[in-house]
Amino acid sequence: MSKKGNDMNPLVQTKEIIKTYTLGRTEVHALRGLSLDFEPGEFTAISGPSGSGKTTLLNLLGLIDSPTSGTVFLEGSQVKYNGLTKLHSIRLEKLGFIFQTFNLIPVLTAYENVEYPLLLMKKSSVQRREMVEKVLREVRLWEFRKHKPNELSGGQRQRVAIARALVNRPKLILADEPTANIDSATASEILDLMHTLNEEDNVTFLFSTHDQLVMQHARRIVKLHDGVILNGESNV
Amino acid sequence: MEKAMSNFMRLSFKNVFRNRRRTAITGLVLVFGATALILAGGFIAYSFRGLRESTIHGELGHIQLFNKEYLLHEEDRPLELGLDSADAMKKKIMMVNHVRFTMARIDFMGLISNGDKSEAFLGRGVEPDKELKLSDLGLNMDRGQFLDQDPSDMKDNQVVLASGLAKTMKAKLGDYLTLMTTTSTGALNALDVKVVGVYSTGIPEYDERALMVDLSTAQQILNSKKVTKLVVVLDQTDETIKVAAQLEKMFPNVTAKRWFDLATFYNSVVRLYNAIFGFLGIIIFVIVVLSSSNTMMMSIFERTKEIGTQLAVGTSRLRLMLNFVYEGLIIGVLGALLGLVIAYGVSVLINNSNIMMPAPPGRTTGYPLLVDTVPMLFVGVFILMSLTTVVSSVIPAFKASRLKIVDALGHI
Ligand SMILES: Nc1ncnc2c1ncn2[C@@H]1O[C@H](COP(=O)(O)OP(=O)(O)O)[C@@H](O)[C@H]1O
Ligand SMILES: [Mg+2]
Repeated sequence: MSKKGNDMNPLVQTKEIIKTYTLGRTEVHALRGLSLDFEPGEFTAISGPSGSGKTTLLNLLGLIDSPTSGTVFLEGSQVKYNGLTKLHSIRLEKLGFIFQTFNLIPVLTAYENVEYPLLLMKKSSVQRREMVEKVLREVRLWEFRKHKPNELSGGQRQRVAIARALVNRPKLILADEPTANIDSATASEILDLMHTLNEEDNVTFLFSTHDQLVMQHARRIVKLHDGVILNGESNV
Repeated sequence: MEKAMSNFMRLSFKNVFRNRRRTAITGLVLVFGATALILAGGFIAYSFRGLRESTIHGELGHIQLFNKEYLLHEEDRPLELGLDSADAMKKKIMMVNHVRFTMARIDFMGLISNGDKSEAFLGRGVEPDKELKLSDLGLNMDRGQFLDQDPSDMKDNQVVLASGLAKTMKAKLGDYLTLMTTTSTGALNALDVKVVGVYSTGIPEYDERALMVDLSTAQQILNSKKVTKLVVVLDQTDETIKVAAQLEKMFPNVTAKRWFDLATFYNSVVRLYNAIFGFLGIIIFVIVVLSSSNTMMMSIFERTKEIGTQLAVGTSRLRLMLNFVYEGLIIGVLGALLGLVIAYGVSVLINNSNIMMPAPPGRTTGYPLLVDTVPMLFVGVFILMSLTTVVSSVIPAFKASRLKIVDALGHI
């Protein structure tokens, strides 16, 4: 199982997770028993048509939602949803999020948006300055650090979002259709950037997409359909 | 930690000013509230001050010294529990800082007669020159004049009568009446006095019975060298408590009653107006809380998705809630500060524009509309108004912090 051939636990693991939404009297089975392992250093696409459960899966992996049944393990320990696991500090310290609609804080500059998680982590101002500068240079936006989100293009905004997800050097970055709201040329740029970060810094990426072009960048593809994994999970 | 707080404060600051119009509306409500409270409070403070000074100067003085026993027991005979060595005490009192002057009074009662009929009276022996220094009594005589200043030259013992008593006695200026009392030794005594003036106290019950004679006249009829009390008048009302304590230390057998211990009318007026002012404060507090919690709720609703994002990237729910409460605090502090400045400006304007209030019932003249600037009032209103928006942000902030992250993120 483990690519590196050691006994280490997978980074994230799901066992038989089911997610059912109840809408009035009808039940929507968004995920129907998924068991998946994700190893450190992966660059994996979760693909599938709209409504197949990609967002739901990423939300569960990102600990911002809880499964109806089944378990999620993070670095070998089971995630508890009853308050025993401090989910927000795990999200802060170990996970990074990239959203389809960027979700930057509009009143903050690019710099301040990226700095925000570091404030939550109570980093000193010297550390913050160092870390923000490093990551903003990595996404090639240092010159734009004083710009507010509405003064940036879609691609630039998403790069700010990537920088924000990356700044505290998380174990895992979850990106829900990160390129769906930007043109294809810029989308490739974003994917190249993510790819570089993955290869050079060994950042683990899980991203969802229903775009064939985007899938081509992935090293592994998990195909979802109606909340189940399609046969032949493929390794590119 | 502190540093982190100021950083989040900065975020809250920016959020406060993202919707300027709404912040301005909330600010305006705060300014209105602060101004209303400060003007009302300032006017009440001004009225209290007037009432306080007229209470002190119309009658009580700042401090009254009694024989300790006088306040504990009934006197069996006049001046039985009076002060012995009033003159020696006076000399010592005059040495105390802030004392302007001190004077003796004797309270006594008896019957007054015009030959045809007798009436009970409540008499007061006074030092006329000093009584005039305390109040404008001499100027407010209905008829005639106040008691003569220098008793040594007086051929006759003089009396001034309250208007009601003068009427029942059918007394004209220059008439002679007879006062009858028991002396301090228990004998009966009578003395003829000449009516030199008629005055009104403003209190009908008193006007029926009151009269004043010179201190020596009172001592003569009571056959005693004692006085009932010493009235101490200060140069500053604010020194009352301090000086009273000092005097009690000086004279172990004496109780020093401060003017507010004796001013029952003043105290009940103050209580009433404080209650009214407190009620006004509560109403304004509630109005500001209600109107600003509504805008606070709206601004949180608009930011639902952003709240989802903040929670997703690891903001604790407490942190999120605090950030919104900070917003309330910032609006509150700024609005309250602006309110204070404007209220101060309006106070100055009012005080300089000579507005006359209509005459209150029972008086013939109006009085100027003035508002005092009371530092404590400014501090109090500042704290109250700053708190209103904190209070009104708590529930919306709590709701925001309880949002389900996925729902919030899905919010358009
Ligand atoms: N909050 C929700 N309430 C009810 N149904 C939902 C909710 N979120 C998602 N669903 C349903 O769950 C299924 C999977 O949705 P989603 O995970 O968003 O798919 P994808 O991201 O692949 O488009 C869809 O049928 C969707 O309608
Ligand atoms: Mg989706």
